[in-house]
Amino acid sequence: MSENFIKIEHVHFKYKGSEKGLLDDMSLTIPKGEVLLLTGASGSGKTTIIRLINGLIPHYYQGDMKGSVSVAGYDIVKTELYELAGVVGTVFQNPRSQFFSVDTDGEIVFGPENIGMDAGKIKARKKDIVSEMHIEKLMGRSLFELSGGEKQSIACASVAALLPEIILLDEPSSNLDQGAIGSLREVIRRWKEQGKTIIISEHRLWYLKDLVDHVIYMENGKIRHEWSGSEFASMDDEKVRSLQMRPLSVSDIMSPDFAGKENDIQIQEIQDGIVLKDFYFSYNKKPYLIRKKKFQENDEGLSLCILKLTLPKNAVIGVIGHNGTGKTTFLKCVCGLEKDCCGIIETDGKEYKGKERLKICYLVMQDVNHQLFTDSVEAEVLLSMEKEDKERCDQILSSLGILEFKEKHPMALSGGQKQRVAIASAIAADAKLMLFDEPTSGLDFCHMEKVSGLLKSLAAANNTVLVATHDPELIELCCDYVLCIENGRVGYLRKLKGDIKCF
Amino acid sequence: MNARLDPRTKLYMILIVSAVVMMSATTPLLWVVRIAMTMIPLILLVAEKRYASALRFTILYAIALVLTFCFLSEESTGIVQSLLIGYCGIAVQFLPALITAWYVVRTTKIDEFMSAMQRMHVPDGIAISLAVVMRFFPTIKEEYASITDAMKMRGIAFGGGRPSKMVEYRMIPLLFSCVNIGDELSAAAITRGLGGKVKRTSVEELRLHAFDWLLVLVFTAAAGIFVVFKYVL
Repeated sequence: MSENFIKIEHVHFKYKGSEKGLLDDMSLTIPKGEVLLLTGASGSGKTTIIRLINGLIPHYYQGDMKGSVSVAGYDIVKTELYELAGVVGTVFQNPRSQFFSVDTDGEIVFGPENIGMDAGKIKARKKDIVSEMHIEKLMGRSLFELSGGEKQSIACASVAALLPEIILLDEPSSNLDQGAIGSLREVIRRWKEQGKTIIISEHRLWYLKDLVDHVIYMENGKIRHEWSGSEFASMDDEKVRSLQMRPLSVSDIMSPDFAGKENDIQIQEIQDGIVLKDFYFSYNKKPYLIRKKKFQENDEGLSLCILKLTLPKNAVIGVIGHNGTGKTTFLKCVCGLEKDCCGIIETDGKEYKGKERLKICYLVMQDVNHQLFTDSVEAEVLLSMEKEDKERCDQILSSLGILEFKEKHPMALSGGQKQRVAIASAIAADAKLMLFDEPTSGLDFCHMEKVSGLLKSLAAANNTVLVATHDPELIELCCDYVLCIENGRVGYLRKLKGDIKCF
Repeated sequence: MNARLDPRTKLYMILIVSAVVMMSATTPLLWVVRIAMTMIPLILLVAEKRYASALRFTILYAIALVLTFCFLSEESTGIVQSLLIGYCGIAVQFLPALITAWYVVRTTKIDEFMSAMQRMHVPDGIAISLAVVMRFFPTIKEEYASITDAMKMRGIAFGGGRPSKMVEYRMIPLLFSCVNIGDELSAAAITRGLGGKVKRTSVEELRLHAFDWLLVLVFTAAAGIFVVFKYVL
């Protein structure tokens, strides 16, 4: 039993309605207490394996399945999902959609309540879990006001509250910054010490390198490579790159010491830049009755406070900083989406105030689904133009490589293609300042390279690109400058060495 | 004093207030009862430290009342007056129910709600669906805000010149993301044992306190007064 705690035998699987099979004769055995990492490109079947083990396939997501799966002595196909609740726990990718409660306490006790545990026992267990994971300060709060990292901590705690033997994590770090990934890694390490069997599907590899016992690289629904933990940790960069994996170690490009202070750029240095002036914003609005109060430089509790900042033109600027430090707020204020922030953008001798900022800025949101409105890609681009110009639309689409999808419904495209449609409308709207909010969270290396190529080509076409990101890999690939935001203030704006562009 | 009410009391409040707003007040006594009933959820909102919404509702309701009694009568004519009658009529009539519902949704934890439903022997299917609806309000609000932002950026907040498109542009992305979130949410809830055959337990110990009984009494009395004075006497 201990040798093959989880056993997947000759599984073929195809989702209902899709033509291509996702898993092809997959066999896998996982001994008790092993930490297994699943990696490989998007769509290679990692998530499908996770869903096979927690029983969502075949009980929730339907499709054609052949073969057998047994987990801790249960035959998955014949076991009802709720029977597995105390055996297998799953931490999902998106913290937004895995919470059932609206408050942190309710979330942790949700699982034990479902399996009908005694109220006294649940309380004792909640206390144990909270002190074990050091999340005392998160108790008694609304889940909607937590940062991404804090949400993921609660997700881990609520899964652990059921004391499962097996814990599955499906791209758990996608929305986390470096610090939060550090605490996630601590949680995984503790679980490993407790002897739990852990299976992680992940693109970011650096934080797991020393933790895993076994690594599987998947391609098109098959196991392509397998390594032991130590083989994996000592793999050389060239091999990692040739397999299109994200690097095993990341440079400290996000740290304040990288590239040194001597590369800091002072405001006076840039002659012909985009100047941002007087950007103040706070979420803790003072209650008002008649007139709105404008924010001032010396107000207390400002979430954003920028007196003057000059951004170099036609470059890719990485915006970095911890979760919840004001990167998204910064982007939203710059492009004029926060009405109460009345900063001024100055470029080419013109001033843009208030709503005018929306004309020269375009924000590509983290969830692009929110900004696609029409029923075809072409209509989407035409909607952004002042005057409908089909020729120009075709040009833009072909430059982004999505001309063939012109007639398709934007929602029928893949995530990366949707992102391109959003960028196409940004170009069509003649935005000179393009803002990207975490464009590569949850992407594999291959797609990340594509995005970085795209950002560079936007900069080469006389656009200024601001990209908020937690991925050091992306910064390395395409950014000319980094802008660090600390507590809503500009930490520094720094030129990156070695990649100096000619303007 | 512990101001936390039992969810069952809250549901009872909603029931009574909704019934009362459907009967129009005709005598001064009925008006007094109706206004008193509106004051209760307002005071409860203040007790829950939701000052901003309490203030907003109070002002809205007060303006509607003052306008109705001081400036409007059955002989009012003119466009302004008729618009005002429309606004005030709706506000005075239905605001009490809105305030009560707002108070209940905002202050009830999903956990409490589920165990209250269980105590009342409501079938799990109905209880879970209602709980998901409550869970979804804040999510819809968040999604709606992001979509509004995206529309502003495209300059199509008002349909880009075509008002007929205004609803379409807003609803399509909202529906897509709500369907997606709902799907992921159910998957996550199921893996944590929701919907099993085991009887669900709850850490929230529900007890009807004296204060609960008092409110139940007050609301029953109010409903009684309305029924008796309007339909019996």
